[in-house]
Amino acid sequence: MSVAAGGGGTSSIDPKQTLALGLIGGLVGIYLVPFVPILGPLFGALGAVCAIIWGADAIARVASYGLGTGVPSIGYMSLAIGVVGSLAGIAGAVMFGSSSVLIGPIFGVVLAMIVGAVVALVGTKVLKMKIPILVRCTVELSGAAAISVIGFSAAIAGSIGMSAILTTVVATGFIGLLFILNTMAIQHPFNACLGPQEDRSRTLKLAASTAFMAMAIVGILGIGVSKVWWVIAIIGAIAWFISISAFIQSSAENAASVKWSGLWPEEEM
Amino acid sequence: MDPLLLIGAITVGGVLIGGGVHFIPVGGAPAAIATATGVGTGTAMLAAGSGMTGLITAAAATGSPLWLVLLAGAAGAALMIGITMLVGNWVYVWGVGTVPVSAKVTKDPITGLEQEKFVTPGTEGHGIPTVCFVSGIIGGLLGGIGGGLIYYYIYNGLVTLPAYALLPGQTISVSAAMMAGIFALAVFFVNAVIASYNIGGTIEGFHDPKFKRLPRGVLGCIVASIVIGIVGILLLQGGVV
Repeated sequence: MSVAAGGGGTSSIDPKQTLALGLIGGLVGIYLVPFVPILGPLFGALGAVCAIIWGADAIARVASYGLGTGVPSIGYMSLAIGVVGSLAGIAGAVMFGSSSVLIGPIFGVVLAMIVGAVVALVGTKVLKMKIPILVRCTVELSGAAAISVIGFSAAIAGSIGMSAILTTVVATGFIGLLFILNTMAIQHPFNACLGPQEDRSRTLKLAASTAFMAMAIVGILGIGVSKVWWVIAIIGAIAWFISISAFIQSSAENAASVKWSGLWPEEEM
Repeated sequence: MDPLLLIGAITVGGVLIGGGVHFIPVGGAPAAIATATGVGTGTAMLAAGSGMTGLITAAAATGSPLWLVLLAGAAGAALMIGITMLVGNWVYVWGVGTVPVSAKVTKDPITGLEQEKFVTPGTEGHGIPTVCFVSGIIGGLLGGIGGGLIYYYIYNGLVTLPAYALLPGQTISVSAAMMAGIFALAVFFVNAVIASYNIGGTIEGFHDPKFKRLPRGVLGCIVASIVIGIVGILLLQGGVV
């Protein structure tokens, strides 16, 4: 539970840019998995990173209005919708014929966005929540959540087909880990940076670092399944280091001053 | 499995979960600094804690009849929320040094103990008094039953499919159990957050005036759960290639 600011502040980043990054970058990354030999899973993980940055921007826009329930709650909800939509989409694509595996991810993202829209409409129409951008941002968040889950699942499984994902991601229990991991990566940046001096480009640097940290962990999860697990893990770790350094640097630049206060005096202990 | 049965089970389960959240004393940020009654965290965290425990205990009863799965889910979720409230109270009483007291009622409806004069001026109560504790246990039981119901029907629907079928020597299908578990968890989170939006983030329990918003929250949960149920059908109808 955190109390966010009065909301609607101007952002230094155009929402259309993050939307394009997440939606196009995410889906292109996922669709490169079955088409690029050997290195395919790496692109799936990078697609999920794009989606997480998009989701972190969407959550920053909606949560700056003050949901009353804290930033994490909408993150958990959107990941729940994303998991439902992506698994149902990948499994349901088979209904259109056994050669239609390729429409699975898009089908999953669309399903997640539809469920997200319904839940947000329940919020505004039934529960009378007064947040003007709730529907748009929940739809964006659900889509970002679904792309991040599918991207990381494809990075572990090395395929976007249901049978590979079922045996390597769902049956092993990694899907539960991805649920919480992606929730944290999406909701933490704004939850950590919110306040009157929140700067969106700094928040998104933190989003990049949480996303790459998740990617490094996903690489490790691929041990024994994916041949390129170490590439994903190492690139994730290097990119995490670069992005967290950029975040710390911009935090230091934006701060009035940074001082080490020292420990409290001995006699007061 | 009949698709309508699955949608029905997910809807009933979702309503039980969403309704159950209204009983749980969610204190939020003010309770975290002991200036409001309830557990000092948000609904999503309490749903994660008690919901996951309920699903794990329900999954432990996989293969048992429906009533046993529901009982296991209810016991797990109620136990977890009970432990959370009990340990929270230890911190409020012995750590912070406040009396568990509700500011929403003058007398505790269960014990009849006076509340008003123990509320620190400027706060909305502290800790988890008896009425909130009992209410929270009821909420945990309802949520656990809802989660268990969803888990049971999705598992039994999936296990009839060839891709999830039991292998020789197995008593439960791990992939079906995981899929049903993650799906039930997702329904749990969506309904918990919808209920949380309805109560504006915090509630003390069934004695709180905000509890009157229950019908509106239940309506929201019904709509959302039906849509998730329809999407869930794809898991059974689509299958695995």
